[in-house]
Amino acid sequence: MRNSDDNDGFFVGYINSLPGSAQWFVPLTAVLMVLGFASFGILAAVVQSDPGSGQFLWDAGEVNVSGVLEEHPYPLIHAEPSARFPQGRTLMLSGDGKRGVQKRVASLSGQRVDVSGFLLKRGTIDMLQVTATPKPNSTVMPQQTVNAPLPRSLGRWRLTGELCDGKCYAGAMRPGQGLAHKACANLCLIGGVPPVFVSTAPVEGHQFMMVADQNGMALSAEWLHRVAVLIEVEGAIEERGDLLIFKMDAASLKDL
Amino acid sequence: MSARYKSISWNRSKVVYDTVLAFAILAFILGYLKLAPSLPGFASAVELPIQRIRAFGSCAFLMLSVLLCIGPAARLDRRFLPLLYNRRHFGVMTCVVAAAHASFVLDWYFAFSRLDPYVGLLVANTSYSQWLGFPFEIFGIAAFAILLVLAVTSHDFWLKFFTPPVWKALHMSVYAAYALVVVHVAFGALQDPKMSVLAMSFFLVPPAIVVVLHIVAASHHSPSSETVKASAVTSESWLPVGSVHDIRDGRAKVVVLDDDSEVAIFRHSGKFSAVTNACAHQNGPLGEGRIVDGCVTCPWHGFQYRPDDGCAPPPFTEKIATYRLKREGELLFLDPRANPPGTYVKPVEL
Ligand code: FES
Repeated sequence: MRNSDDNDGFFVGYINSLPGSAQWFVPLTAVLMVLGFASFGILAAVVQSDPGSGQFLWDAGEVNVSGVLEEHPYPLIHAEPSARFPQGRTLMLSGDGKRGVQKRVASLSGQRVDVSGFLLKRGTIDMLQVTATPKPNSTVMPQQTVNAPLPRSLGRWRLTGELCDGKCYAGAMRPGQGLAHKACANLCLIGGVPPVFVSTAPVEGHQFMMVADQNGMALSAEWLHRVAVLIEVEGAIEERGDLLIFKMDAASLKDL
Repeated sequence: MSARYKSISWNRSKVVYDTVLAFAILAFILGYLKLAPSLPGFASAVELPIQRIRAFGSCAFLMLSVLLCIGPAARLDRRFLPLLYNRRHFGVMTCVVAAAHASFVLDWYFAFSRLDPYVGLLVANTSYSQWLGFPFEIFGIAAFAILLVLAVTSHDFWLKFFTPPVWKALHMSVYAAYALVVVHVAFGALQDPKMSVLAMSFFLVPPAIVVVLHIVAASHHSPSSETVKASAVTSESWLPVGSVHDIRDGRAKVVVLDDDSEVAIFRHSGKFSAVTNACAHQNGPLGEGRIVDGCVTCPWHGFQYRPDDGCAPPPFTEKIATYRLKREGELLFLDPRANPPGTYVKPVEL
């Protein structure tokens, strides 16, 4: 379509030729668009914030640990000293995917058990994704108590931080925190995965701690509204083995 | 033109358009998922499934932003008109990219739990009464629902089925979809406290450009048409609409009537005819079009109408309303009452 006075680019789609002035304009736009999209893609990827170092220790393969199991507030095991944990270690326990292991350990609380699974690690936080139902272990080793370590009180603390699901945060998802991840974290907690508090200031060297309500039990569904947002909350902290438990006082809760 | 809409009729410009678009999408995704990680200093250990979610989400966001810029850009510079044509394909592709984003989200954030992902999507986060932590997914779902409806009804069959004004109104909801996307991003990705200013600008600058372009375009006078706001008159009277010399041959002048309807007065081979400014196809601005082969030709997709009776040349069947015109000396006068579409009006001779 070319009119005699057609010099400012009148285009009609069904006519397949471009007007004179647009002959270079349109291919140029097309090239710029492809290049622009590529650069935006690269840019958007490069500016992502660092999700932290948590990860599954797949290389370690399936590990076996023995130790005393505790059921509340969330399942954990006080692993006895071994080649992997020369000092012993307190591990949070979760199941496959977004599931907890509450049902599988219900009858084993306070007993010495054998557990196998895959390790997740981020900083001072360790979690074991349990592969098979823990089994009671009745072989009593010499000079070894079968009691869980006695809790040591660290007093009351007022902390600022974020409630996360312990599993994604420990590295099952990177990043496993923040608002974009909130629904996912909620699903984990609904499923029974232990929640953790990520404090902005460390408590005795621990940035992460397992959380409980003020009675030391699992959190109620109400707490789901506070997941992934910055909160300030007060409560007693106790050390069990080398894991801290933050017993949050709901009445002291403040959104920031 | 176009009484046929049995299937999408492919032609060279559609194929070229879609190919360029597909390459642009590919370039974005490859840039994000492949090129960026291979750059020296790229440290992000973000998991691949989450990167995929982000890549397709950002791509859909960028596409929708660009898509909404096409209209005002074409108004400001007619050389962008080729992008306007087939804009629907752009919309459908945006919807596909958004669908990929949504399905990656379902397969990751909402997978691995006892709940069905779709159930999880709706019940996992119910913090509707708070700003922070609001289930921002819901905005994304709403935006996607709109895009889906628009994509499905983008075909000319639906245009015909709904009639152009209704179809056009329906498709204006793309703006609602965009607003929802912006809110979706604002309550989700933008809430990352570690987000850098650069990352934030990726999500804030495009909507700003969209808004500014729309404002600029709205106040811009198209070079090939002139707009006259008709003063209050009774329906009986003839409206003075300016001199015959105001209109170049083959072009039109647009008159806005009191009820906001618009009339395009065309000059064709020394004669004058008035038709509605709204194309029967998608309400394209006929007054910004030209006379091509003796017919008023819409700048958007090239539907054509004879200036004297508003009928598309055979075999096509579209009709648009015509208006009566008269000339007194140099001055043209318009009867603001529209004739039924397809009514013959003898053109005013110079
Ligand atoms: S609006 Fe499509 S041709 Fe006029």
